[in-house]
Amino acid sequence: MNLDLLTVALLAGAATWAFRALPILARTDRMAAGGWLERFLSATGPAAIATLFVAAILPALTPDLLRLLPVVTGTLAVLALWVARRSVVLATLGGAVAHGCTVWLLG
Amino acid sequence: MLLRFAAQHDRAGRDRASQAFRKGRVALTAARPRASRGAMTRTRPPLLDGLMASLPIAMGYFPIAFSFGVAATQAGFTGLEAFALSLLIYAGASQFLAVALLSSGAPVLVSAFTLIAMNLRHVLYGPALMRAAGTGAGKRHAWAWAWGLTDEVFGQALGALARGQRFSEGYMFGLGIGAYASWLAGTAVGAVAGGGALEGWPALSAGLGFMLPALFLALLLSILSRRQVPVVAVAGLVTVAATLAISATSGILLGMLAGALAGLVRR
Repeated sequence: MNLDLLTVALLAGAATWAFRALPILARTDRMAAGGWLERFLSATGPAAIATLFVAAILPALTPDLLRLLPVVTGTLAVLALWVARRSVVLATLGGAVAHGCTVWLLG
Repeated sequence: MLLRFAAQHDRAGRDRASQAFRKGRVALTAARPRASRGAMTRTRPPLLDGLMASLPIAMGYFPIAFSFGVAATQAGFTGLEAFALSLLIYAGASQFLAVALLSSGAPVLVSAFTLIAMNLRHVLYGPALMRAAGTGAGKRHAWAWAWGLTDEVFGQALGALARGQRFSEGYMFGLGIGAYASWLAGTAVGAVAGGGALEGWPALSAGLGFMLPALFLALLLSILSRRQVPVVAVAGLVTVAATLAISATSGILLGMLAGALAGLVRR
């Protein structure tokens, strides 16, 4: 077992558990809200996910239309399924299927 | 057929959960406990009810976890190490990033900090859920079931509460166990299939490779609100600029930080 991997996994896992459990155990929802910390935390989720989407899609963006087309169809499929079904699971799977099918059709 | 059933099953709850999430401040500050609610289940034990409710999540998790198992072994990690990441971190996006960071030789503390920053959004889930559950909601076993409070589980649980069902820790355990088991099973199967498993299947490999950007885009759409558009725009632009100017890792860190700081600006 890679010691670096185990260390990172334990640190990240412990922090993730703390983020999920401690606010419930402390019932922080009863505390006064509306301060700068709440605004910062509220923005962290969308900022993190937007960052991750850009970071994940950036390497796939290329001037080569044949390589770009699967990315376009996959992205459009996610958008269309989200609008139609409002389901994260279906939109994700649909986007992956559209991307894979486009690659298959292009040979 | 099964997907259609899953979509019908979770759609209403997801809509309400998304709305509640978008109004995070409202959910944290203005929701009121209801005087009377039906139990989360009347005909089944709450644990079983939660397991049933986890079905659509589990169906979505399995292929994503499978692609994680494949990606981890492709990056040079063993099957056991891939499984350990799923067992110990249990946060999809973080795990993919962990593989990218560790395989590129990023320092341990930088990697850990990046993953921790990425999961900071989970701080908001517990308070939002407990506010919706009401003042009498039990939290005795929250130290255990909260481990499974992922984005999807949070959405499903909040949706159940929005439909007027009463909070139950047993239900939360069922919901979490179903999703976690699917995630671990998907990782194990993907890791056993291994990095070379998809070499003869380029279209399938490409589809699985697109699973991560698709998941992030879908998650972004699910939480997007007009109030957060500047946050998303700033995060995206800074990520592109920092990635091109410095490195991909810097782009992720600086993008998140810039976006979160943009949220401090009062509008």
